[in-house]
Amino acid sequence: MSESLFVDVAFWLFGGGSVVAAWLVFRTDSMVRAAYWLLASFAGVGVVMVVLNARFLGLVLVLMMAGEMTIMAVFMVMFMMNPAGLNPMTMVHQHRQAKIAGVVAFAGLALVGVVAEFPDRPADPEGEATAELGRELLGDSMLIFETAGVTLLATMIGSIAIASKRGRFGDAEDGSAPPPLDPQGDHS
Amino acid sequence: MLLVGATLGLGAYAVAVLDGVGARVAAGGRLRLMDIAAGPLRRAALLARTSRSTTERPDLQAWALAPAIVAGMAAAAVAAVPFGPGIAVADVDDGIVLFGAAMAVVMVGVYLHGWSANSPMPLVGGYRFIALALSYEMPLALVLIAAALPAESLAVGAIVESQHDLWNVVRQPLGLPLYLVAGTGLAFWGPLNGADGPDLAGGTSAEVSGPALLAWELARRFVLVAVAVVGAAVFLGGWQGPILPGPAWMALKTLALLAVLVWAGHRLARVRLERFVVVAWAVLIPLALVDVFVSGALAL
Repeated sequence: MSESLFVDVAFWLFGGGSVVAAWLVFRTDSMVRAAYWLLASFAGVGVVMVVLNARFLGLVLVLMMAGEMTIMAVFMVMFMMNPAGLNPMTMVHQHRQAKIAGVVAFAGLALVGVVAEFPDRPADPEGEATAELGRELLGDSMLIFETAGVTLLATMIGSIAIASKRGRFGDAEDGSAPPPLDPQGDHS
Repeated sequence: MLLVGATLGLGAYAVAVLDGVGARVAAGGRLRLMDIAAGPLRRAALLARTSRSTTERPDLQAWALAPAIVAGMAAAAVAAVPFGPGIAVADVDDGIVLFGAAMAVVMVGVYLHGWSANSPMPLVGGYRFIALALSYEMPLALVLIAAALPAESLAVGAIVESQHDLWNVVRQPLGLPLYLVAGTGLAFWGPLNGADGPDLAGGTSAEVSGPALLAWELARRFVLVAVAVVGAAVFLGGWQGPILPGPAWMALKTLALLAVLVWAGHRLARVRLERFVVVAWAVLIPLALVDVFVSGALAL
């Protein structure tokens, strides 16, 4: 009984925290803070998954998002020409489109939430969720996941190959070398 | 709770003492027992009483949060490790994934620590740590997966029990060396101290002083201790050993790994980060993949 109360409290605490953090993404005035509020929001969802017995998925969500949000923060700072990401700047733009998209998305999701018939299949709390997930990933659904995975990998390698063929400091194959002191000199 | 606190506290003190011994041996000086034992406490007391410095318009919340994130993640990682059969805060069935997730969030803490000071040197240190972290994360994850294969479980306790006949350090000879390289990077220690290196005047901690610096230095050592604790459980057979009780073996093995890590900090030169990134992606990741494939084939 006390454990299910604990689960309920943790669910609402972290679920609510997740929503608040997601709102703060748009209220803050810095790229880095926005990225990490988003990470906080994802981490809240991860904790909710952990208390709902999807521990592996919840932990992997946090693991992946910590790296991804950091990379996203670095890229946003680079693209925005905002040296440290500390200069204040607004995180919202295109107000009319954003409002319409927000209302439509909320209405759509709310409609699904209210109207859809969700299957009522209580999971076994002692069940081996991780093992079942592994069987699903490498069993019936293997072709789907492997196709998606290989496609994503090929995309990543392709985009790196396109982007890094020739950089500021010479060919990518040369590795990173500082620019020469003499403008006409070579890189050695 | 007490177990985690005691492990991290005593571990951080052990790191400081080992560091003192290492520094004196490296300098060829004499070992004075009192100095070595009391030195870290004196330095901590001094830092706790030193006034704080600040910068122009820092992000104060994130700055204060950074050491808490790093220390908290180290504590979460230690909580998943059993110190004897059944002696664990939470030997969850995805313990090794918990360790991986916690160590990924350390990256957020270190970057925030560098970024929120609003000052060039800490910011460069933060960026350096991201490049370092993205390079060691893959070998780290792969060697941990390889260690989980013979156990057929992601729980740290099950991994320890799977080493009943043969420790993973022998069964998977590539595992521990790669893990220690990654662990050195995780705590940005010694040869991989790009984030807080002296060439950046202290890097992410260049602008902190007093209690904030104390918190940061403690948090960093907590991560090193967490790396050693998990390494002792995953590669050195954990609590298993003759005569002595399980927790004593865990303590000895953790101390041995800490000694190796601290010794490396004194004996190996700091690596240039761009070289390490190339080595990590071109050498360490393939080696870690070999480790996974060979371990998987042996576990079948």
